[in-house]
Amino acid sequence: MERSLAHIALFAAVIAVLGFLPKLSLGFGVPVTAQSLGVMLAGTVLGARRGTLAVLLFLLITALGLPLLAGGRGGLGVFVGPTAGFLAGWVAAAFCIGFIVERWRSQKLALVAGVASVIGGIVVMYAFGIIGMALVLDKTLLEATALVVAFIPGDIAKAVIAGLVTAALYRARPSSLLSRQANAVL
Amino acid sequence: MISLTSPVKTRAHDLPAGLKLALLVVATGGLARADGLAFHTGAALFSVSLYALPGRVFFTAGLKRLSILWPFAAVVLAWHLVTRDVEAGLVITLRMLSAVGLANLVTMTTRLSDIMAVVRWLGTPLARLGLNMAALEIGIGLVIRMVPVLGEKARHLTESWRARSPRRARWRVVLPLAVLALEDADRVSEALRARGGLTRPDKD
Amino acid sequence: MTPDRPKEASARIALDGLCLTLEARPVLRDLDLDLRFRRLGVVGRNGSGKSTLARVIAGLVAPTTGTVRLNGHDLYNDRRAALGEVGILFQNPDHQIIFPTVLEEVAFGLGQLGSSKRKAEAGARETLARFDKAGWAEAPISALSQGQKHLVCLMAVAAMAPRTLILDEPFAGLDIPTRAQLRRYLALFPGAVIHISHAPEDLDDCDTMLWLDKGRIAMVGAGAEVNDAYLDEMARQGARDDISDLPG
Repeated sequence: MERSLAHIALFAAVIAVLGFLPKLSLGFGVPVTAQSLGVMLAGTVLGARRGTLAVLLFLLITALGLPLLAGGRGGLGVFVGPTAGFLAGWVAAAFCIGFIVERWRSQKLALVAGVASVIGGIVVMYAFGIIGMALVLDKTLLEATALVVAFIPGDIAKAVIAGLVTAALYRARPSSLLSRQANAVL
Repeated sequence: MISLTSPVKTRAHDLPAGLKLALLVVATGGLARADGLAFHTGAALFSVSLYALPGRVFFTAGLKRLSILWPFAAVVLAWHLVTRDVEAGLVITLRMLSAVGLANLVTMTTRLSDIMAVVRWLGTPLARLGLNMAALEIGIGLVIRMVPVLGEKARHLTESWRARSPRRARWRVVLPLAVLALEDADRVSEALRARGGLTRPDKD
Repeated sequence: MTPDRPKEASARIALDGLCLTLEARPVLRDLDLDLRFRRLGVVGRNGSGKSTLARVIAGLVAPTTGTVRLNGHDLYNDRRAALGEVGILFQNPDHQIIFPTVLEEVAFGLGQLGSSKRKAEAGARETLARFDKAGWAEAPISALSQGQKHLVCLMAVAAMAPRTLILDEPFAGLDIPTRAQLRRYLALFPGAVIHISHAPEDLDDCDTMLWLDKGRIAMVGAGAEVNDAYLDEMARQGARDDISDLPG
């Protein structure tokens, strides 16, 4: 139990620290932060339950008023703003990604983690994000989708990185991949 | 790590955090329901004037935090110019401004310890349903404590990369950072266990 | 130093057939030992299993086979006894400090011993005062120097008043004045001490010494005697080139 808590807290910190990394811009000027890569890794490394808890802990501390989101943002405002849906989507994304990596063991880990990150970190996360944006900006789902579609290539790149990093972690320290331990579903 | 609570002391700092949060919930609900341009203009002016009350430093700090909304405001207004429905665009923009503005205002005028007390109070019924409040509090403390530590490590990794490569490190530090974080997690869990772990002896 | 200071400052350690394997690599091999000590120094080269032995004795890691007892307690399985029996200072304070401020960190252990939140804070303030650091209570950990963080760890453990304190190379990487100052604060601890180090100058006050080599006991006995033998052997090995040898 101590080990679970320490991993959850340290991964919440990893998500925060990835937000401090300098943003990189895709060829056509869309800023991409590494923060959602942290969410994907929380799922692939910690598994569904602990990954979800890491994201929830991160969001709770952000809501308490600590500037943990990329660009030093935080506080209650981000939870009523136009991108609030994405934050909710992070929770669902971590769960989905963890769920897939825990159960789909017949393929290479890099592929499994990458595909899981695409399903959870893009399909599921954008579903939540688009609904949130449609609500706040009073747009139809299709219109809201048009507003965020430019960010999808960056997230595909992140999903690929998440797959590679997860596989490399497993090679470096098999015991650290809690999503693939026998007791993953504690 | 420095919280987003404003260093400028305001009278709102002394209001109970629970009251501020309850008012925020009511206000956000109201903003979501109302549709009139007059109402939203009034609400936005009211929110902005709240920022102005504690003086200039607070006002500019507050507006700076709201400035992240301008791309969204620009897109929405441009959109509604094209659809020739500017009034709807203004309502959406003003509503977003007021809602985010008021929420940020609560954050800026509430100390971390005060909002933690509200979390503890909200957690009491959940604790009966099985939420481990002690673990939650340790978890919150641990994250606030470890973010600067890991941030420092990320900086060292980036420097060590730059010292040996003409290219920028960027995402390449993610793997070593994750390894360090997982090692830290193992050590920290030992340190937690060394001092009694998550179950308090008087409660089991 | 503590009001309820243990009258008997010596401790008894008993290892029986202790083996530990981590990720298929044997780290501790068949250790047998039964001795009483006040200050026990544990020396050995990097990778000899010293740190792992410290964790096993503190009850943080379970032995693969064999048993470990400190003052008759199995500290891995009896965590309640462990809290009163043993405290441990790790090499890196960033791995030990859990909370963002000094007071929270020092109060945590007292809460774990069963004190109410208010009593734990009062006890923590007492401990800070005893170390003449009352002004540190609200200080954020992130603002402290490395040496100061070590002192916070020491105070956090001392607040819990364990009978034995395990030091896992807490001085590694600190400058000479900081080491000297920390040693002075350490001397305030009244109980038994197990001090892990590869630097024998840290251990000159140890009445007993244990020398580990590749997970086995190379020698155990009176401090000065083991120290001399260890230094001779280290000088001899230093002339060789075993740094070229890869494991396995």
